[in-house]
Amino acid sequence: MITQRGFVVVFSGILLLTSGFSFVNLYCLMLGVYLLVGVVVSLPLFAMTANISGIEVHRTVDKAKVFSGDFLRVRVTLRNTSRRHFDFIECHDQYPETWILAIGENFIASRIEPGSSVTFSYILQARMRGRYFLGPTEVILRDRLGLHYYIRTLQAPTEILVYPTYKDVRRMEALGKQRQLGLMFGAHRTKVVGMGTDFTGFRAYVPGDSFRSIDWKSSAKRGDLIIRQYEMEKNIQVICMVDASGSMGNGYPENTKLEYAIRAAVLLTHLGLERKDLVGTCVFSDRVHGYVPPKSGPNHMYDVLEALSMAEPRGWSDYESAVEYVVLQTRKRSLIIWLTDLEESPAPLLNAMKTIVANGHKAMVISPFGPWFEVPVGQFGPVEKVLAEAVSEELWERRAKIARALSRFGIEVVNVGPEDFLPTIIKQYELAKRKGVAMF
Amino acid sequence: MKVVTWILRILSTLAFAYMCYLVYSTLQGYWSWDAPYVFIVTVFRLLSFLVFFISLVVMTGFSLIVGGGAPQTLVVGLYNTLILKMWYMQPYGVSGPLETAEEVFQHFAVNFNAIIADLWDTTFVFLYFLGAGVGIALFLQSLYRMEHKYVGGSFLAIQSILIVAAYRHIGNFHITAYPSDFVTFLTSSIQILALVSFAYLEVGYQMIYSSSVGKPIEDREETLKKQLLALRQATRKQDAIERGERVSLTGMSRSSGATAFSFLREAMERKVIGDKDALENLDAVSDVRRLQHFVDELLASDPAARDELTAKAAAPSSYYVIGSTVMGSAFRFLAVIAVSFFLLSPQFILDALNLPPGVENSVAITQPELILLFVVPVVLLFPFIAALIGWFSQQDEEEAITRKQRREKAKREKERERLRKEAEKARRNKERARKGEVVEEGKDEWDRALEETYKEEEESPRG
Repeated sequence: MITQRGFVVVFSGILLLTSGFSFVNLYCLMLGVYLLVGVVVSLPLFAMTANISGIEVHRTVDKAKVFSGDFLRVRVTLRNTSRRHFDFIECHDQYPETWILAIGENFIASRIEPGSSVTFSYILQARMRGRYFLGPTEVILRDRLGLHYYIRTLQAPTEILVYPTYKDVRRMEALGKQRQLGLMFGAHRTKVVGMGTDFTGFRAYVPGDSFRSIDWKSSAKRGDLIIRQYEMEKNIQVICMVDASGSMGNGYPENTKLEYAIRAAVLLTHLGLERKDLVGTCVFSDRVHGYVPPKSGPNHMYDVLEALSMAEPRGWSDYESAVEYVVLQTRKRSLIIWLTDLEESPAPLLNAMKTIVANGHKAMVISPFGPWFEVPVGQFGPVEKVLAEAVSEELWERRAKIARALSRFGIEVVNVGPEDFLPTIIKQYELAKRKGVAMF
Repeated sequence: MKVVTWILRILSTLAFAYMCYLVYSTLQGYWSWDAPYVFIVTVFRLLSFLVFFISLVVMTGFSLIVGGGAPQTLVVGLYNTLILKMWYMQPYGVSGPLETAEEVFQHFAVNFNAIIADLWDTTFVFLYFLGAGVGIALFLQSLYRMEHKYVGGSFLAIQSILIVAAYRHIGNFHITAYPSDFVTFLTSSIQILALVSFAYLEVGYQMIYSSSVGKPIEDREETLKKQLLALRQATRKQDAIERGERVSLTGMSRSSGATAFSFLREAMERKVIGDKDALENLDAVSDVRRLQHFVDELLASDPAARDELTAKAAAPSSYYVIGSTVMGSAFRFLAVIAVSFFLLSPQFILDALNLPPGVENSVAITQPELILLFVVPVVLLFPFIAALIGWFSQQDEEEAITRKQRREKAKREKERERLRKEAEKARRNKERARKGEVVEEGKDEWDRALEETYKEEEESPRG
């Protein structure tokens, strides 16, 4: 390929050549021929040396899995395995559009001798969870006079998994530390009076109580039989059902209903693990994309993060299949928290809820209300505003109906917006803990 | 690399000076040093002549309309003395003040032609000076700015002197002058001039290459320094704010590169926008701090980190650059001379072709356009060969994609297709199931679902 500069030289040659013919001038003719030949004479040689198969690109990253907002160093090594030198090589290492180049530059221009290599690095900030690829690397080879060039794209993708942001957890921990109350601040352990080791108080004997529970000393003092009570601390099992259907992806890129639902799921898992509860996560749309059964191991958080980071808003919500999948794998009574926008037909949702109740589980729906996550009404014109309000009212009415329908099964529907999504999930979790819902 | 660039800079200056000297000596006798002055004066005279003539015609016409006759001698005299002479607008070839308008009309055509002819001659000489001036200015720019356009521009500006001279058939450059003997061809004055001109272009471009091949690394180092400095400043400023100290809001200057640093710029914007939103503000500050920690840790833990960020090791060796410059230029020079001789010596080719006498002695053979007959195919032959080589290289590259990669790709596609089909099947089943339901007109599906729920509960035995 001849560059723009090369074309200028060609046109200069043609100008001189035509001047030579017009004015019958040998010098102009000769110089014209020189320029034309000068541009093309090295072309075959350049084509021979610019064989990109002699260039190897090797990219390394410090970590293959990072949290959204974390920094990542990328090292790129270009190695010339051929016997030829590359006079001028430009290398552009591509990174995902949504990421930010924090420090350094993602390209280099230099010369590579045979057998030698060039290494450069740069620091990126990973933004938005998901599965990303660094690369491909675009290599531009130029001849030393800048008259010709070849562009090649080297496919050497490096997969990076970006976990959902951890900033909510960090914020919560920071707040806890600020209040000097430690990590367990606000924890409400579920207490069951009866079996256990922690003494809780006395009560009068009723027929059927075990004789072993009678506190003889107190009974002697009171003149009546007194029972000593103990309490047992129990944990709950929660399964977070994250709806990843297409409608959950509406709104601004980092503020969609799905993103909030994922942040809520991360926060819930963290809280659960802190309090030794079992928290599982299921990501579904028209099929189950990922299911992490409730566990409490050290790597459990990463399994959940991995499942959540792969969630992409697409398809429709098949509640029945998701419930069927989860219920089959869950033996213990669980609290199933749905994070869904309820924008599907009612029948499958009701059937799914019936299945949950029939299997002895408890459920609740935390539902992001679409219009609150999408374009602010203030940005609309008068006509759009009226239409938006009408649509909102319609949707709200539908929600009221589904809330009524689900309340028949004892399932609560909580409508949330971007501001109260995360506080609501914490509140509901604490409430469930206090009530002792789905203990195991 | 700077040493190599300086050597090439000196060589480029020498080649340019020699090219200018050869151009100057080729047009020996045509350089009149007062030509720029004469040209400007002639242009001014032509304009003054035209202005005078037009104003006289207007004045005469006005007097005829108002006074009914030609203007008074006194008026004409005053007009000439006070206005025209004072502003040096005296018509060409007339020394004293004019007394009658007829005098001007009589001399107009002769005077006008004389000025135009004078201007025609002066313009060519002036253009030589203009070309030389522009050429020198662009050459000086090229030494400082290191851009191809300045080298090319200075080359074309100097060559334009010879093109303009060729238009007037000045210089011994006639088409019949080129010889068929290679040694004579190589040592002729115009060949030397052409070679020196080509050498200037070659050396100029090599000079820019030597500068540009090391420059990105230097720029990279400079950018990194600015970025780290800006980051440090931003962190310190934030610390100072938290300590309750008063800090200047304009502390992050354009010169420190902070505004060219996209990450920090974005963080600053987020901070300004998120002023009302405390959490957004907190995030922006936290991002800058975390980056500072990350960089500090990286530089402390990996001694090679800084060199890799600046790509210091990627700077090419000066010896290699000098060696390849000499080799590359020598190859280009020899190739260009050989191919040009082949193209510019029709006699040599005609002898080799052994054409029949009828063709060999024809008039067309002696015309310069004959060169085109060889130039076009030979010049196109090189890109054709390059395209062939490129095609073969492409084949090599495609083969470089291993079978394993292909298998993996096929597997991924197959899996994606399977999932898509499954989802499609489930969707169809659901739709089919829903079609079976009785749809009551004018009733919302949620209302129906609600009613059905109540109905089921009523039907179920109460316990």
